[in-house]
Amino acid sequence: MADPSVATPEGRSVIHDLGYRPYTGPRLGSGPIARALVGTGFRNTFGLGRSGRSKVLPFLLLGLNLLPAFIVGGVMVLVGLDELPIAFAEYASTTQVLLGIFVASQAPVLFSRDLRHGTISLYLARPLRSDTYALARWSSLLGATLLFLVLPVLVLYTVALLGEMDVSDQTADAAVAIGLAALLALSLTGVAGLIASWSTRRGFAVAATIALLLIGNGIVTAIQEIAREEGQPQVGEVAGLFSPYSLYRGLMASWTDVETATPPTSTAMEVTYLVVFLALSAACLGGLVWRYRRVATA
Amino acid sequence: MNTTILRLSAQALLGRRRGVVLVLIPAVLVVLAVVVSILTDDEIGYESVANLGFTLALPLVALLAATAVLGPEVDDGSIVYLLSKPVSRHVIARSKYAVAWAATMVLGALPLLVVGLVLDASEPRQALAWGLGAAVAGTAYTALFLGLAAVTRHAVVIGLLFVLIWEGVLGTAFAGVRWAAIGGWGREVAGEISPLVPVVGTGLTYAVVAAAFVSVGSLWFTGDRLRSFTLRGDE
Repeated sequence: MADPSVATPEGRSVIHDLGYRPYTGPRLGSGPIARALVGTGFRNTFGLGRSGRSKVLPFLLLGLNLLPAFIVGGVMVLVGLDELPIAFAEYASTTQVLLGIFVASQAPVLFSRDLRHGTISLYLARPLRSDTYALARWSSLLGATLLFLVLPVLVLYTVALLGEMDVSDQTADAAVAIGLAALLALSLTGVAGLIASWSTRRGFAVAATIALLLIGNGIVTAIQEIAREEGQPQVGEVAGLFSPYSLYRGLMASWTDVETATPPTSTAMEVTYLVVFLALSAACLGGLVWRYRRVATA
Repeated sequence: MNTTILRLSAQALLGRRRGVVLVLIPAVLVVLAVVVSILTDDEIGYESVANLGFTLALPLVALLAATAVLGPEVDDGSIVYLLSKPVSRHVIARSKYAVAWAATMVLGALPLLVVGLVLDASEPRQALAWGLGAAVAGTAYTALFLGLAAVTRHAVVIGLLFVLIWEGVLGTAFAGVRWAAIGGWGREVAGEISPLVPVVGTGLTYAVVAAAFVSVGSLWFTGDRLRSFTLRGDE
């Protein structure tokens, strides 16, 4: 009798070869896998491709976020204003709470679930590096956040064009607003993704992200108001560097006509705001890549 | 009350990172109060710091505490082991509430009292008013969020929407929201204790009765939901 522990010689594996046809089609590399992952991740962020119940929350938030834009449109039509009552860039600042909840609640969908259920090892068993996985997830969330930010701007822009306002002015303003939105989306995606990838509990990740974003913003706002009343705007300028929302407000104040508590006054400060904004995003992305590298080697 | 459930809930609450975040929120608030009181002479920062603590830190602590004692167990399904024990579901709800409530008082309401004393030691009554108002609001918040955690997996997000959108954004836009805003009831209580805190205008009796009603009602509702609990799969 043959030793059962000896591997079956090549070509003689008859018992388990039931005659099923193996897959002979093309096997795609990590590029197409990453692209597919970005696409599914983006859809999953809005609950598409998932259960009906998980669609409720993202679409509710998106609806709430768009509601003021439509109301503004309706008011414009009824009252007949000749300029928008809210600037394009100001919109994201007004609905920052909704934006925060959206990013915080949808980041765990992309980052926590695979870690919690161990499905991450299935992804990494494919020709997909952990870095690519992290980047793909991050891009999905970035895309969803951008959509969330840009849609109301587009609605307002359409309303402005239908109201026959000056096209070049409106286009320039909307372009600045979208540029600012991209910066905000970059940083929020990084922060929320990093927290979600460190916490496998969804509820906790959501609350921790919101606590960080909103309490951070609350503290900065408090300091900026106190600094303005005390007549020391420089303190407020520096304080503005410590929260994504206040960075957004600072740059909004210097790039558009919207006024805020203590805007950056010098060009050097504006550049610092921009650099901190980008550095925060880059640092979070780096942390994310590092986190998944550790998961992959653990 | 069941001592074992109390102990397990306290572990779930303070264990690991959740405990760190829970302690960090009041710590940051107190540090901010200390910094503001050192750098400014008079009470410029009092209003903004107390508001920050009352409208943001307190509900967040209550939300984290209430969902921590129930949420993870529901999420990973291990609550069935607890529910299969011969303990009344209402006792389970009450025990879990007791732990979350204690955490909210110590980490949510007490820091407001401390912040008040740090910012203006000459007005202990005002600090006490903020602290007691926060205690009333925290009691109702914790019960409401515990009830939410027993009904849905999205308790944290719905709780945040309630606090930030309903009480926050809509509360500033529509005055009528104050009749159905837990934070407003807490402010009303605070305003009755110290004239330095602006009242909301619902009347002390209404505020106390409404807060008590929400607390007791939500607590009973939590027990009732646990009594007929269905475990659902992940979405």
